[in-house]
Amino acid sequence: MATMDGRITLVQESRFQLTDEAGVSHLFTLSPWCAAEPAQLRPLAHSQAPVRVTYKAGVDVIGQVAQRIDVQAEAGR
Amino acid sequence: MNDHPRISDFSGSDLDRMIPDESRFTAGVLIEPGKSYGFFTDTTVCIGCKACEVACKEWNNLPADHIGLTGQSFDNTGELSANTWRHVAFVEKSGCGGVRDNSEAPYQSGWLMLSDVCKHCHNAPCLEACPTGAIFRTEFDTVVVQQDICNGCGYCVPACPFGVVAVSENDGKAHKCTLCYDRLKGGLEPACSKACPTDSIQFGELSDLQARAAVRVEQLHGQGVGSAYLYGTPGAPGATGGLEHLNAFFLLTDRPEVYNFPVAPTRASNRVAPSLLSGLLTVAALATAASFILSSRDR
Ligand code: SF4
Ligand code: SF4
Repeated sequence: MATMDGRITLVQESRFQLTDEAGVSHLFTLSPWCAAEPAQLRPLAHSQAPVRVTYKAGVDVIGQVAQRIDVQAEAGR
Repeated sequence: MNDHPRISDFSGSDLDRMIPDESRFTAGVLIEPGKSYGFFTDTTVCIGCKACEVACKEWNNLPADHIGLTGQSFDNTGELSANTWRHVAFVEKSGCGGVRDNSEAPYQSGWLMLSDVCKHCHNAPCLEACPTGAIFRTEFDTVVVQQDICNGCGYCVPACPFGVVAVSENDGKAHKCTLCYDRLKGGLEPACSKACPTDSIQFGELSDLQARAAVRVEQLHGQGVGSAYLYGTPGAPGATGGLEHLNAFFLLTDRPEVYNFPVAPTRASNRVAPSLLSGLLTVAALATAASFILSSRDR
């Protein structure tokens, strides 16, 4: 499955925006089987922790469906 | 010079915090829990710019959906869905008074535009049908789906008489307009009404909006638009079948079905008792018939 690295910059319910290292933002929604809960998204956005999102393309939307979110080690901090 | 009071209150261009109760300045209303809020959509001034659709998508972080062209006038949104909570309908009327006419009566007589949304019904059929209690009535008298409780059963979908709520194929949960519940809690008016450049969508306390709408209908009648009427106010079309009233109501100038609205929406719960009764009667009738047949065979 495809992965994308970045930081969560916006959260609404189970939808979130991931801003990648190039500064481009992408829209995601949590899959019902995702190894992450909607309640975990806001703390990730507040802490600005680097994350890796494993995803599939969404059905009939310009957006992705997150299957898994892994917190990454902060590079160079 | 007559400055708007907001100018002296907030002179800095670089605010370090939110403006407290910002809705007082943008919608002229203070948002307080325990009061009823809603939308009055005056379709006669909608210009079809879709600012409301965009503002809704932006604030709620909703993805674009139904990619492609519908072939239906300038409407490529198509319908309300799990990812589209505002839909600007374009109705091109044909024939005499239609969009191809050389002259038009005032107020969009040939080309009707309407920004559709969840009606936040007073007796909300979706809420009544929800078995998990995920759909609840907020402290602002609006109807919201709690995402962490919704199990995606979809009972609310056929219960809604307006075809508003939908289950997403991507996250398996029901979604619809929240009347910007998070913004109301922060003292902000909903994103769509704030963005609407013509004030076709007005946000406010329901009683104020209903009074304002009644005045507007009178004004339009006086200006020769005799077809103007309200849809969703108490006793009006749209507030039928036990719904009582819609917190998001509309001023229309043609029949409801022209805008894809039901003429007489009803509560699904009204049909539970008759259905149960007819089911029980059917079982009783079949049991009686079976016992009659079996007993006549024994003889
Ligand atoms: S319009 Fe439909 S989704 Fe909205 S409150 Fe009424 S029944 Fe529920
Ligand atoms: S923002 Fe206002 S004018 Fe523009 S489409 Fe929506 S309702 Fe109509």
